[in-house]
Amino acid sequence: MPMNTEPNLADPDAFYEVLLDAHRGLSEAQSAQLNARLVLLLANQVGDAQVLAQCVHAAAALPRGAEEVR
Amino acid sequence: MPDDPKIVAPTRLLGAVGGGHYELPVYPFVEPAELKGELGRHPVVIIGAGLTGLTLACDLSLRGIPAVVLDEDDTVGVRGAASRGICYAQKSLELFARLGIYERMAAKGVQWSVGRTFAGDAEVYSFDLKTLATHDASRQPPFINLQQFYVEWFLVDRIYELGVVDLRWRNRVEGLVPHADHVEVQVETPVGRYALETAFVVDCSGGHSPLPQALGVGVQSARVPDRWCISDVRFAAPPPVERWTWVEAPFNEGRAVWQHLMADGVWRLDYQMAPDADLDRVSSPQVVDERLRRQFGAEVQYELVWVGPYAYRSQCLERFRAGRVLFAGDAAHVMSPFGARGGNSGIQDAENLAWKLALVLQGRAPEALLDSYDAERRPAARHNIRTTERTTRFLSPASAAERLFRDAVLALARAYPFARALVNTGRLSTPMVYEASPLACSAAPCRPVQNVALRLPDGCTGDLVSLLQQVDGSLVAIVAGPVDAVLAARLAAALPERYPVRCFYLGPDGPAAHGLPALGDADSRLAHQLGLDVAAATPALALLRPDLHCAGVLQSPDWPAIERAVRRVLGLGKD
Repeated sequence: MPMNTEPNLADPDAFYEVLLDAHRGLSEAQSAQLNARLVLLLANQVGDAQVLAQCVHAAAALPRGAEEVR
Repeated sequence: MPDDPKIVAPTRLLGAVGGGHYELPVYPFVEPAELKGELGRHPVVIIGAGLTGLTLACDLSLRGIPAVVLDEDDTVGVRGAASRGICYAQKSLELFARLGIYERMAAKGVQWSVGRTFAGDAEVYSFDLKTLATHDASRQPPFINLQQFYVEWFLVDRIYELGVVDLRWRNRVEGLVPHADHVEVQVETPVGRYALETAFVVDCSGGHSPLPQALGVGVQSARVPDRWCISDVRFAAPPPVERWTWVEAPFNEGRAVWQHLMADGVWRLDYQMAPDADLDRVSSPQVVDERLRRQFGAEVQYELVWVGPYAYRSQCLERFRAGRVLFAGDAAHVMSPFGARGGNSGIQDAENLAWKLALVLQGRAPEALLDSYDAERRPAARHNIRTTERTTRFLSPASAAERLFRDAVLALARAYPFARALVNTGRLSTPMVYEASPLACSAAPCRPVQNVALRLPDGCTGDLVSLLQQVDGSLVAIVAGPVDAVLAARLAAALPERYPVRCFYLGPDGPAAHGLPALGDADSRLAHQLGLDVAAATPALALLRPDLHCAGVLQSPDWPAIERAVRRVLGLGKD
């Protein structure tokens, strides 16, 4: 079963808001924690090993941003 | 037979270190025949009398092969009475039952099936191995815990009892010289050097064997900076008999801890240390005392039996056979200890190799059969290494990102069942399925078969192990369903005359079919294990290997198909 990159979010802006709101008020470390937990929760929703591997590789294959030094 | 090893200890438990210790046996040095001028060609030389070497020697003893074991030491165990490998898996226990030491292990060791994993103070999940389908049909339990030197001790006793294999203590191998039809083994002893000649050598001399390099066999190694302190402790008030593991133990500075019971009421406690820990300091009596009081309470009464540091790595040879030299156990593959795969895979290497070596040495199979040892056990080693490396990565995160995800798993596991499967404190050893085995005689891989109870042809209750003990090293063919009389007669007489195979009938209870001895399988456990259906409209034949793997099931086979299958399992190929 291949990864789905066609639009599949019922209400993209609403989801985007839910995601950003969840990060509001968090430190960088807490945000990283939230993202990691969310990745695992969503991975369990997807379930299929092949799809998950494709998603991971797709994320890794995008051009990397410049390293930020703060 | 010598007595069991004793704990030499004060009768009153002390509150501090300095309690009991074990006294291990010392075996005699005997001047080798070669030094007295008696030369000859041996069938097999086994280098190293550890778990793997002794298991192989014991199995070969039962097959009538007079192997020679060379060990540079004169006792069991390494590093004194360190407990070392303590969890013996079901498949290993089934083999030990066939070898004749299981009863002693069951009497001395501790059976367990419940495990619990903790993060902080919270239990994250638990399991009971007895409920698993992969373990619930065998006559042996999922695990017995026992100090490694006990298992080695029992194997030595059994080898002496059988009187077939020559155990040579204080014989150190200095080098090997391979020739076309034999190997010359150069040996150093307290009374001089000698060389012996052998058809085959099995290197069971452990993870630091110099022989692979000497023979040009490549190796891949990987090490992580993970360090542990092992303490063997007896308590006045012991914990429950379960395997407990902590990923982040509050009493160990947020690092991992393992807790297991072994024989004689001695608990095995493994504490993960900081990677840069001073190993002498963390193993010192005072630090050990502080740690035990943090874990069990300030008033704990205990006796420290053994303590020492521990590190590990993974390592695998690029091939397990180099001509007349084979590598088994740690000499072939090394892995981290999580999941009890190291010792158990060495034992199962020996089980895989023994029947093949015996048939080759008896002229009943070609030397090419030994290639299947590498074809089956090297993938098993790679699988074990991959599995244990995943555990290592979870227990010893290598970067901030890896630690971040581990934290996420632990947080989620407290709340949600799905995340508990990600908490990795060791995936316990299970028997290997040989996926791409050259010996498979059907489309299916060679699957392990549990040691199920059954009724033997003489009417006695037994199990697959006792059936194997009766067939003198042969393969076992089990036929079910309406087999025709002519074929049955050939299976009963002609087939065993030509090949080392013995045939049995697994039908519904009743008279033996056409001269084939019958097995009783009242609750169909054997049929289920082999994938046979005694009520089927057409006959089937399962070919069981001496290492309790099914080589395949043939549906409605004719005589040529059966012969082809048997020849395949013996390494005789397709001709």
